[in-house]
This record gives sequence, structure tokens and C-alpha cells, in this order.
Amino acid sequence: MTNLTLCGEFINLRPLTPEDAAMTLRWRQSARAANLNQGATSVEQQAAWIASRPASEYNFIICIKSGQPVGMVSLAGIDQTHRHGEPGRFLIGEEDAVRGVPVAVEAMKLVYELAFDQLKLLRVFGTIASGNTLMIKWQRFLGMREEGRLRRHYFINGHFQDAVLLGMLEEEYRHHALPRMNSLIAAGRKSGKADGNTLDGMRSQNDE
Amino acid sequence: MTNKESAVLDLIYQTLTTLNEERSADEKIEVGPDTCLFGERSVLDSLSLVSVIVDLETLVADKFGNAISLTDDKAMSRDPVPFVDVGTLKAYILEQLG
Repeated sequence: MTNLTLCGEFINLRPLTPEDAAMTLRWRQSARAANLNQGATSVEQQAAWIASRPASEYNFIICIKSGQPVGMVSLAGIDQTHRHGEPGRFLIGEEDAVRGVPVAVEAMKLVYELAFDQLKLLRVFGTIASGNTLMIKWQRFLGMREEGRLRRHYFINGHFQDAVLLGMLEEEYRHHALPRMNSLIAAGRKSGKADGNTLDGMRSQNDE
Repeated sequence: MTNKESAVLDLIYQTLTTLNEERSADEKIEVGPDTCLFGERSVLDSLSLVSVIVDLETLVADKFGNAISLTDDKAMSRDPVPFVDVGTLKAYILEQLG
């Protein structure tokens, strides 16, 4: 797993490590993660999963500027031949800590900057369970386009759901997603206090 | 309150009611004229806020035949932004509808 830290205005993304297993397992088992795929069921399993992440993946812990971990996000499936990658594993686990901070949108922005600016990818994509309507609307709002549907692809929350395939090209990121993310961050900045710690409340989750 | 004001308020309440249907039982929000949607006192996280914005833009277009944006440069340059609470949202939509 790559040892890279990304720094934003309100958050940093630091590498996920096996020491984060108990915390991330707690997040994964919360009610808010109900729309995610089944994950590890013990700290040991979670630690093993983290330790087994391939070097080609970027798995991050989202930290607010105080250093407190509040969530996780990844960029996986990176293919430098076809120049695409798959953002995901997006989960805010500490909602109270991020209330007033534009965490979700800046986390996505940092991941997209990594994908398009540093890794020079031309496309990002991912799937979301069709029942995860809030996440689908959120990703569409940020510039993702629906490219297809895998019928009854997931068994989540006791029933089969379609996988909605969403994708975004580099030019769509630059012309649509980036300005929109910057606007949301600016709006959060405007609504906050001078110390920058009391901005928009944000929490989100995404399918792996 | 004029008919248009009442109609816009109904649409806002409708989006918040829809949002409640998408949230778990312990995440339901109280829907009313003072419901805070954005900022430190907000009852909404970012996903929920975006859901409200997207649904509301659609409903307003369907109801009044006018496409409005609640997050374009014009909207975002306002201080406060239009979606701080139900009241500012209603006022901004009415202003855009003319």
C-alpha cells in the first residue's frame, strides 16, 4: 500500500494502517455503513484485510486538522495502461466530529486530484448499490454519470440490488466536478467561523 | 403568504419528507420553517444536503416550468448561501422565479 499523505484545507488523507483496524471496523459496523458490502467481522480480519492491500492501492484515513481520524476513502483499481481508477470505500465514521467541516467534498477532491493530476488518469468509475440513493445523488451532483447497471448484482440489507455503474472522464472532472466541489468548499468556508473548524456538516458513504 | 410562497414552501417540505424516507429511523429530521440545512447548526450531512438540492431543483422545474440552480456561481456568491435554512431557501427560490 502506498505511503502517501495528501493535505487539504480542512482535512488530511493519511495512509490506512493495520493499527486502524479497530476504529475502521467500528465505522464499518455502524448503521451508517448499512449500504456497504459485507466486510470483516473481527478486528483481526480487518487488520488482515488492511495489511493485504496491494501496493497499487491508495487507502486513506481522513483526518480533520486536529489530527482526529473521522473516516476513510480509497483509490483502487488503478490501471496505468488504460489510465483509469476506482475511488471508493468512502465512509465518514465520526459524524459529530465533522459537523461543520466540508470533509466529504474535500476528501473526494483530494482523491480526484490524486487520480487526475498526479496519476494522470483519464477516467474514474465505481458502482453503488441502487438502494443507496443518497450516495448516487451525491456522486451525480459531483459530476459522475450513470454508465450502466448490473442487475441484481449486490445482496445488501437482505435483498438483491442493482449495481449502478458511474463514471467520470478527466474533462468532466475539470469542467464540472472541480468547480462544483470548490463551490461547496467555499460555501462551507463562508458559513464557518474564523478558525475554520465549524463549517458544513458532511458525512458520506460509498460502496466498495 | 401568497400562493407561490406557499407552493415553494410545500416543495421544500416535500424534499425534506422524501429525505426522511431515505434515512434510518434515528436519523429523521424535524421538518419546519426553522429547519437548518447548512452550516454549524445544520441537521444535514453533505449527502443529505445535496439530495435536498437536487430534488428541489427538479420539483421547482416541474412545478413552475423554470429551471433554477441552487449551487451555481450566482447562488454560491450569496452570503449566506441560499440553502442555509428553509427560510433562506424559500426566499431565494421565489427571487429566482420572479
